[in-house]
Amino acid sequence: MTSGRVRWFSGLRAWAAVTTAVGLSALAAGLASPGGEAVAKPPASMEFCKIYPTAHACAASPVVNCTTCHTVPPAKNLFGAQVAERLAPGVARPLSDADYIAALPAALKAVEALDADGDGISNLDEILKGSAPENGDSRPTAVSCTPGQTRSAAAGRWNTCGYDPVHAWRKVVLDVCGRSPTRTETDAFRRRLPSESSWREGISGQLDTCLRSPYWLGVNGVLWNLANAKINPQDSIKAGPRAGSIPLADYEWDYNLFAWMNTGDRDVRGLLTSQDFVKRVSDDPPTFAAVPEGDFKGMRQAGQTVPREKRAGMITTRWFSTVNTMFTPIPRTTAAVAYRQYLGLDLARMEGLHPAVAEPVDYDAKGVAAPACAVCHSTLDPLTYPFTRYDGIIRNNYNPNRLKNFVRTDGARVVEAPEAGEIFGQKVANLLEWSQVAANSDAFAQKVTWDYWKMMVGREPSPADQTEFALMWKGLKAPDKFNYRVERMLHALVLTEAYGRP
Amino acid sequence: MRMPGLFAVLTLTLVAAAALAPAVVSAQEAAPASTDPRIKFKDGERYLRDLSETFEIPRDEICLELSRYDCSKKSFRIVLGGVDPYDARVMQPLDQATLASPIAFDRVALQVCANRVAKDRADPAKALLFKPASGRPDRAWRDALTDRLYDRILRRDASVAERDRMAAFLEGVEGRTGRSARGQSEQTLLACFALASSAEAAFY
Repeated sequence: MTSGRVRWFSGLRAWAAVTTAVGLSALAAGLASPGGEAVAKPPASMEFCKIYPTAHACAASPVVNCTTCHTVPPAKNLFGAQVAERLAPGVARPLSDADYIAALPAALKAVEALDADGDGISNLDEILKGSAPENGDSRPTAVSCTPGQTRSAAAGRWNTCGYDPVHAWRKVVLDVCGRSPTRTETDAFRRRLPSESSWREGISGQLDTCLRSPYWLGVNGVLWNLANAKINPQDSIKAGPRAGSIPLADYEWDYNLFAWMNTGDRDVRGLLTSQDFVKRVSDDPPTFAAVPEGDFKGMRQAGQTVPREKRAGMITTRWFSTVNTMFTPIPRTTAAVAYRQYLGLDLARMEGLHPAVAEPVDYDAKGVAAPACAVCHSTLDPLTYPFTRYDGIIRNNYNPNRLKNFVRTDGARVVEAPEAGEIFGQKVANLLEWSQVAANSDAFAQKVTWDYWKMMVGREPSPADQTEFALMWKGLKAPDKFNYRVERMLHALVLTEAYGRP
Repeated sequence: MRMPGLFAVLTLTLVAAAALAPAVVSAQEAAPASTDPRIKFKDGERYLRDLSETFEIPRDEICLELSRYDCSKKSFRIVLGGVDPYDARVMQPLDQATLASPIAFDRVALQVCANRVAKDRADPAKALLFKPASGRPDRAWRDALTDRLYDRILRRDASVAERDRMAAFLEGVEGRTGRSARGQSEQTLLACFALASSAEAAFY
């Protein structure tokens, strides 16, 4: 790597930092209103789901969007204005986060029976059923059939009022095997219809067969494409087979690990905790094999360089560090990507904020301690510290003294940045503990389920899907249900009404 | 790819689609409309895999733009629901169809049907869709064609209403194409296009 190239990358990082700072400053102007009246409260997005855990918006994510109460923060929408009127009346503004959180449940309770948008539906009903309480054009979707409709639907070609086994089975063949069933196959399945156990067995067997198909498991298959946004492949810097012009790392390890952890009797938490890798032995039939540690020797950029005992699944691979950490001492982008792609929490949208006490310190002198920036960085920076000992481009190793390399560019205090950090308000000593907390969180199970739900059902969980979606992600966590086995969860998902009702 | 009579056929494709679209939907009349429909686009790759199997044309040959670029893997990859994470940086299928999606889909359907009918004309012994009438095309010929198309494309039997509608359509088209073998092949192509571009063929 030439020093010129290093400067080019460093320049990009500096440009990104300036852009980020400008954006946050603009946001700050709204959040820190000197009048003390219009102040957005990021912790509210998570508190809301603690108060209304069965709300539709909380089924897919433990946080709600700022637009639940605001138009553009800090300006409030109709619902937010009602809440604000009843929030700790008579108490001097601005409220501290602690006072705000303490007062929020009562304020929300006080407006439950009101109808902010005047559409005839109470705020509470709209919150629970998934429509927008501040938008008169947004109403809960009616999904039930009349008794007459139910009868005619049951006699029709498709049962549009309930679970239709033929429809669900055909979807499984198309979704997972990538083809329509033949007429012969359809006729054979229809013969199972008189017996529920038989058609259930038919759907389950079909799913098992398709889950081993190249269409599902192969290169550029369904699982491969499900991982695209998490891995962010770029051919120009790919190493290994079909290397690009600047080979830095090989993303195929990441795709293989993703497929491996999402199939068979394997714990999907391995996405964040696995210390082993697999290689693709064959693509048809898709076959994987464990990689002995010795195989990485001599592979240079095409292999894995973080010691086994320091690995945390997909978030410490050579590729992940290369494309996200690059040359950054405190790699906030890396932590934010992990938070978004594996936990479904987008800090750029102020999701998943858990401000840590006395943070951010601003060890790398980026100005993040400014009040406006601290809104997010009080969560992001302690989330990031455990990543600081993992090199990005070039070395891609674990190095406890890594930050010494950045004193000249990022200031003397950069070496004081700790390896210990915080995630979901829980202190962690290093990235291995970070990944354990993350992998065991509700957010992880929700994100895994959400990804499959969107792909299989074809859309994000709707208000009508709330109950079934919650069953899926809670079942994924439950040892006596799916026990973090994705394929077990999929067998249940294809039997949901959301999947099988035309 | 050289497709005989393609320009003449193109002028009739909209007529075909408009005439037969209601026929495809009519089979659902017994049930109420879904109160919360969740239909999904089959996407270009699944669509061509299906037609490859049912039209007995190898997947790599069934639809090529300029005789070179695969319709779903190259030419219309993103607009037909595919992804391109490496170059175009499209990581997931687009949530909304693009303006070009229905145009591309129709173009693919037409090319695939033209491909199959051309093979049928070239080798009548192995014909799947186009089988010339032994005399003047009559209702029996039209019904047989309808049955072959529904069987191959939608993988089900046509209802009585659908057969009637298709027969009326073919009879109407005959006024433009004539009764010759070429005219019959163009009728076959149009009927194939109507079903292959239907909602039932595109969604599931």
